[in-house]
Amino acid sequence: MILKFISMNGYGLFVWLSFGITLLTCSLFYLKTKKTLKKYEKEFFNELKTLSEDEKREVLKKSKIAGTIYATGNKAN
Amino acid sequence: MFKFLYSSNIYLLIENIIKFINSIFFIILLIGLTFALVLSPPDYIQGESVRIMYVHVPSAWIGLACFASITLFSILNFIFKIKFFFSINKSLSPIGLLFTCLAIITGSLWGQPTWGTWWAWDARLTSMVVLMFIYIAYILSFKLIKEEQTAIKISSLIAIIGSINLPIIKYSVIWWNTLHQPASISIGRENSIHTSMMLPLMLMLLVLLLYCALIFLMKYKTEIIRIKRKNIKRL
Repeated sequence: MILKFISMNGYGLFVWLSFGITLLTCSLFYLKTKKTLKKYEKEFFNELKTLSEDEKREVLKKSKIAGTIYATGNKAN
Repeated sequence: MFKFLYSSNIYLLIENIIKFINSIFFIILLIGLTFALVLSPPDYIQGESVRIMYVHVPSAWIGLACFASITLFSILNFIFKIKFFFSINKSLSPIGLLFTCLAIITGSLWGQPTWGTWWAWDARLTSMVVLMFIYIAYILSFKLIKEEQTAIKISSLIAIIGSINLPIIKYSVIWWNTLHQPASISIGRENSIHTSMMLPLMLMLLVLLLYCALIFLMKYKTEIIRIKRKNIKRL
């Protein structure tokens, strides 16, 4: 029964390849997008760290985004 | 007027939506795959190869829908001169390219058992390849041109001119005598597809749309960070 399911009456190669290629490329694309996002978050966090204390306080007060990234970056470190 | 698109609230909302999609995605993927690969019946002519439709058709729809959205945002960008639409397009275009390529590849894999050939220079297939090249040109335009305003103008022009290809893709199976079958599903007309196949198709469409939403939001988030980083001292 499992072999019948895998072979799909002779169409298995085409069906599994279609689903396999779709799942594989989507997974790789997801990982690449996630990696780029993390890289940008890390670079932004490092840039925030280079600011003087006053500048940093001002930026964190004005921007929730900077605050979120700074908090996440601190937690990760 | 559109500043809210880059605001902190949108950023936090995006984070929450990403978490929500991540939490439900695998369950919906499993249900979709079970219906597509196990529960749906084989076709009376094409047999089991019809299952390729569950990835091929949604991929083609998404490829076309992404380009239609890019065109719309490019026109809005020309009229209102609002940069945010360009950020949305930058996030949408790689998704569109990915699904256009997937539609071509899975179509080829479906073509071999049903038509007896991997490829034919048929109107539908050729117009999809043209769409893929337009996507590549669009992406290259903002990757290669460093000056942002020029990149926005050129990429918008590519999108608007490239949109001529969309009705060609849609009506190619009617205008020309093609190997590709006419549409089985259309809005406002009775569908020629049975519910037992329609359900897995809609489920797989939902899975791929959720995936697109996830990628789009992650890319848009990256864009927001990139812009905030550029203006860090002015925040």
